[in-house]
Amino acid sequence: MKKEIQKAAKFIEKHCTADDYTLSVYSYDAEMTRYAQNMITQNMSGLRHGVSLDVSYGNKTGSARINSFDEAELKRMIETAQNIAKLNKPDPEFVPSAKKTKIPKTDNISENTAKANMKDMVSVIKQIVDNAEKKKAFVSGLVTKTVTDFYLKTKNGFEAFDTSTEFDNSMTMADNKSKETKVSRSVKDINDYCVKDEIALLNSQFDALTKPKKIEAGQYNVILRPQAVLNFFMFLLYFFDRKTADYGISAMAGQTGKNMFGKKFTLQSRLDEKDITVSPFSGGGVAARNIDWVKDGVLRELVTDRSYAAKIKAEPNFISNIIIRGGKATEEEMMKKVKNGLIINNFWYIRNVSTRKNEITGLTRDGIYYFENGKIKHSVNNLRFNEIIHRASSNILMLGKEFNIAANTKVPTMLIKDFTFADTTTF
Amino acid sequence: MDHIEVALDHAQSLGAEYADIRIQKTRKETIYLVDLSLKNTSMNSQHGYGIRVMKNGAWGFAHSSIFTKDEVKKTVESAVKVAELSAKIKKGKGIRLAPERGYIDTYSTKIRIDPFTVPLSEKVDLMLEVNKTLMNYAKIKRAFFMLENYNDDKFFASTLGTRIHSNIYYVYPMIIASAVDKNDSQSRQFDPGGYAAGWEHILKMDLIEKAPSIAEEAIMKLEADEPGEIRRRDLILDPHHLGLTMHESVGHPTELDRVLGWEADMAGVSFATPEKLKKYRYGSDIVNFVGDNTLSFGLATAGYDDDGVPGQKWYIIKEGILNEYGSTRDSRPFLDDGMSRGCCRATNYFDFPINRIPNLYLEPGKKRLSPQELIADTEDGIYIEGRGSFSIDQHRVNFQFGGDMFWEIKNGKKVRPLKDVLYKSNNPEFWNSCDAICDERYWKDFGVNNCGKGQPMQASRMTHGASTARFKNIRVGGSK
Ligand SMILES: [Zn+2]
Repeated sequence: MKKEIQKAAKFIEKHCTADDYTLSVYSYDAEMTRYAQNMITQNMSGLRHGVSLDVSYGNKTGSARINSFDEAELKRMIETAQNIAKLNKPDPEFVPSAKKTKIPKTDNISENTAKANMKDMVSVIKQIVDNAEKKKAFVSGLVTKTVTDFYLKTKNGFEAFDTSTEFDNSMTMADNKSKETKVSRSVKDINDYCVKDEIALLNSQFDALTKPKKIEAGQYNVILRPQAVLNFFMFLLYFFDRKTADYGISAMAGQTGKNMFGKKFTLQSRLDEKDITVSPFSGGGVAARNIDWVKDGVLRELVTDRSYAAKIKAEPNFISNIIIRGGKATEEEMMKKVKNGLIINNFWYIRNVSTRKNEITGLTRDGIYYFENGKIKHSVNNLRFNEIIHRASSNILMLGKEFNIAANTKVPTMLIKDFTFADTTTF
Repeated sequence: MDHIEVALDHAQSLGAEYADIRIQKTRKETIYLVDLSLKNTSMNSQHGYGIRVMKNGAWGFAHSSIFTKDEVKKTVESAVKVAELSAKIKKGKGIRLAPERGYIDTYSTKIRIDPFTVPLSEKVDLMLEVNKTLMNYAKIKRAFFMLENYNDDKFFASTLGTRIHSNIYYVYPMIIASAVDKNDSQSRQFDPGGYAAGWEHILKMDLIEKAPSIAEEAIMKLEADEPGEIRRRDLILDPHHLGLTMHESVGHPTELDRVLGWEADMAGVSFATPEKLKKYRYGSDIVNFVGDNTLSFGLATAGYDDDGVPGQKWYIIKEGILNEYGSTRDSRPFLDDGMSRGCCRATNYFDFPINRIPNLYLEPGKKRLSPQELIADTEDGIYIEGRGSFSIDQHRVNFQFGGDMFWEIKNGKKVRPLKDVLYKSNNPEFWNSCDAICDERYWKDFGVNNCGKGQPMQASRMTHGASTARFKNIRVGGSK
């Protein structure tokens, strides 16, 4: 743990006179380089941190946050938070800070990533730009390296610390006509990032694009590649808390224990999943555990914070990482399983249409291909979908291998029948 | 002041062609009230500086929150090093800056009551009163009230000799009532966005008086019919709703960095490419869009932008024709030899400033016309108030928008409320279908506080405005 964090924790312990407190500290060391149109357009480097203190007197609460470890600033932060709490009205749903809790051990750090510097990142970009120039195309994207520390301590005895590293590259290659496609990936260990493989994937997506043929709205069989699966199903998590369900606001109202989703749909958080990181504890002081949110289509658990958990006498939880379980099917097998359909690289601008119906909207992006009789035929124009998340899960026909789409996320490719596209677009 | 001279001198001694430093102290007070539970009452403060240097036609940027001479020098060195590395991958001359001169000036938001000096009890009492009013209705299952008070105290200095001190404020209340019955849940919001002013602006809003109608309309939506099949009819859109449509379909496509492809990997590009300037019919003759960073209450108004370029007012769309972009000193030279329009903004001290939407508004109609008269003149249409489900493609052409409250119009009358209405349109169909705009008496502003753009994402702010307007013959209906 960083010395400054320990010092700040001691200082708070000594000077905070409130009945209760929670101290959280993060530090974020990042180097980022942005490139566009085959040149570097922006970049930044620097360390930043946030120190945040929640205090309470009885059930009156107050918080303050600063971005410094300076003692005079820490003192001012304590006074600010305490003054707010003293002057505040009581919170009827107040819960005391988290108690001493056993925190699972994690392995979220890669020294290789921590050591990486701007030079390494520029060399990655150089290869990507050289490739784009060979393709007579333009590439844009962002390379990021981050080391994040997170520390949480409460007056009631909770104390935990976690460091994680991440290397991330996202790149979009386009020509001046209609080709436009993207590959992005983030990993814990920079050595697991193979720029040649990523470029090869980008090129294969790019080369498969043709001048798009016009396609109308309607229901189509779709092969959703991992980025599309992630963006579509992650929208579920925006309304995935138990309180919103119990209030009758979300579609999950009254569905716990029921077959709300398709049999082939399983969504989990795991402590010891190979290749992906896990947040060992939440900002509210909840320890991570293995959770089946949805198991074989049955809704098992919803996100429950400590305050609501106390009210309904349940175990609190949080989403420590995201795994959608896959299968063994290859894209070729999926194309053979149905007569025809669309392969979708990505979705974009997804928004809620109806919370209670669990319906969302969004557009395809980064390349969409029409396949027939087991083969890709040509590209088609982009489409807008309006679809109900659990309905789509019930229409899953096949699952591909799980793929590490982000440092803490693993999802498969999916074949889904009768996916609803409500509108066509002009390109 | 010392740090500024140290930074700029050091950058120049290391060969920087241009350098600037932005010292920013941000204070944000946030209060979250969910039902009657004060989920978070906090004061966040953040103090630091960002140093940007241009060397060999490439940018370098570094930031720090430690205010010592040594740290300032170290930060400059890291920015210069980054620029030198970046210069290895550049096309032609790389990045150049549009011409600009130096300014010595100050700018402050006009406030009468400093929101940070108003006692906490006054703020919380107001919020509790609103939520209690909402929760008095049995079908309101959740009441949400967020209040944000914001201040940025910023010093900007550049090697052009510019020295600008600005002191910016805004206040921002947001209220949501969620109504639930056996078959549905619906919400109604009061969300005017932020407004650059002091606490006096909150007092003017009469929020306690507004609360019953927020609750009643949420409940009304539960009982309302869906609009049925998608078919073409007229839309009448209120200023609040138009704030969102113009943001997405005019604001973003006319950001010059998007036009140049600099956002291709994330936010996307733009259909409004340079060969369309002064030619492309974006909207009907009555459609005039103004970029205006001089608007006193505008969220994008700060006297100068983060390039040190003064706030300006210009036509982005004039009499329906694409007229000009919003630009920055680094984007403009890729288009022509003109000057920047002053749209370069960073959100936090540690953010790299980027090309943002200015305050952008639709000019009111020149003929006398009220929303009531407009409704009376409409045979078959839907009137939409507020912002809802909105989604647009990454070229900013095809979109689907919802809203917050919907009324069916038949033969000149609002006949019944509707729910879950969506309309689908595109550029240039949408703004060309605009056939009537109410006059200046009905012009209203709306703030956007969460415009996400860039990598890493920065949430920026700007103000939009419009009078109620009509759009003929648009595809509108339910979700399927
Ligand atoms: Zn935006």
